[in-house]
Amino acid sequence: MSRSESDRDPYEEEAAEQAAMDTGADPPSEAVETEEAAPPPAPPAPASPRMPGRDGGGPDDDEFRWHSEERHAVEGVQDAIEFIDVHKAFGRNRVLRGLNLGIPEGKISMILGPSGTGKSVCIKHMVGLLYPDAGDILVHGESVPSMTDDRLFEMRKKFGVLFQDGALFGSMNLYDNTAFPLRQHTDKGEDEIAEIVDRRLQEVGLGDSGEKMPNELSGGMRKRAGFARALVLDPEIVLFDEPDSGLDPVRTALLCELIKEVHAENGGTYVVITHDIMSARRVAEFIAVLWRGRIVESGPAQELFDSGNAFVRQFLTGESDGPLGME
Amino acid sequence: MMILTGKTVVSAIRPPYPYGGEFVSQFLFALKLCWFPLLVSTVAFGYAAPGLQAANFLVLFGALDRLGGFFVLASIREFAPFVTAIVLAGVAGTAITADLGARKIREELDALQVLGVDPVKNLVVPRFLALMLVTGLFDIYALLFGIFGGVVATLVYNEPLGPFFATFLTNASTTDLWGSVLKTTLFGAVIAIVCCYKGMTASGGAEGVGRAVNQAVVIAFMGVFAFNYVFTQTLLATHPEINIIR
Repeated sequence: MSRSESDRDPYEEEAAEQAAMDTGADPPSEAVETEEAAPPPAPPAPASPRMPGRDGGGPDDDEFRWHSEERHAVEGVQDAIEFIDVHKAFGRNRVLRGLNLGIPEGKISMILGPSGTGKSVCIKHMVGLLYPDAGDILVHGESVPSMTDDRLFEMRKKFGVLFQDGALFGSMNLYDNTAFPLRQHTDKGEDEIAEIVDRRLQEVGLGDSGEKMPNELSGGMRKRAGFARALVLDPEIVLFDEPDSGLDPVRTALLCELIKEVHAENGGTYVVITHDIMSARRVAEFIAVLWRGRIVESGPAQELFDSGNAFVRQFLTGESDGPLGME
Repeated sequence: MMILTGKTVVSAIRPPYPYGGEFVSQFLFALKLCWFPLLVSTVAFGYAAPGLQAANFLVLFGALDRLGGFFVLASIREFAPFVTAIVLAGVAGTAITADLGARKIREELDALQVLGVDPVKNLVVPRFLALMLVTGLFDIYALLFGIFGGVVATLVYNEPLGPFFATFLTNASTTDLWGSVLKTTLFGAVIAIVCCYKGMTASGGAEGVGRAVNQAVVIAFMGVFAFNYVFTQTLLATHPEINIIR
């Protein structure tokens, strides 16, 4: 499973698109006509780099005209996780359609996108809960789909995952939920486990709630408890699946601050899946915008917020005018 | 489902065996839920169908004493395993599907996998073994109460019980007994696999869990009926002596 045309540089197409947008022209399909008067720098290229014959021709070309798939590199930083031309379908629903993405090591990265574009599916691929129909996913250079069960088990120890709504085990109280990974994966004694669990619960503001059962907690408390559980093994990579869903704006802001604080203290690679732009502005160091199963653009957060790509600009500003409609 | 069956059997045999506590918990759960419904079902069923209806028919031939022998065929070989399987599927099986289905939609099963816990070994295997054990034991319980239903039917016809037990014991054999218990135990395996599979593949929120429970019961019943046919045919073919009615 190797990299494909995703490595090709789409700068020529990006330049044409940028020129069209700067003149206030309409989408590139119409901008081509406007630019006929001025000599283009290069012959027209396909709308986005993809495997020949897979999505080339017909309606798909229009569908991906906003996908520059441009990646603004984070200087001097390797990728902790890489998606290489990943395709995934559930029946006739094609969720990921040639996804190419690199998550930089040691940063808080956010994958943003409209609802239903495959953000949660991405997270599940990273930890081997789902496998791609085509393409590859590398975690620190190792291919996840190619791993044996034993190797996958070891690889998952690198991860902490905060699922939506926490995914706490209903039969255990908060303390046992948080202690679970330690009891499962380490030989630590109960005293040491208690010290770690208490510290993590204090960090997330649940120090006094260890005896409570998950059904006694609010949604926000469950998320914080799930966060504590995700951190107990000091994982190298922490994944957050829409941590702000169902939270009010204040608690969303508090959770974002918590993520930043914990990342500042512990380090590691954090990947946050969300469609909340305010959270992105507060927390993100690296942003990837996902739409229709592919990355529109990715890079350091400030560069994305200053992006000239019409879709990225519309999504990150929350404007109603732009390529994204109600479909 | 066949893949899950294979994985379950392999996981049950291969060490380690972390599922002891969960196995005991599931066994007691099924026991607690099913003992009373099974008691009522087997007495009522044993009294009504092979009891009253068969007695009504045998009275025509003046052969009501043969009711005991008939109960060997009806209760030990067929009705006790059937009623046990139906009650276990309807009561314990649906609870298992609902439990695993709820965990699935809350992403607990995904969280378990990410935390390095094999859901098959830790959730399916204990339920599989517990349901097999409890259905096998409940078969004997169902036999006893089913035969009690036959006793009541005999008494309703003002017949002595001596001939009933005489023909019963003449026709009953150890083959009938172990065949019944083995068949019911395997019914438990079918029910466990179907209900666990449906629970672990539930999707679509609460509605999806409800749908999974419904499908689990229907498929479990069909699986039990189909397996019963195969097992009964095999047992009769391999032990032709039990075909003889004395």
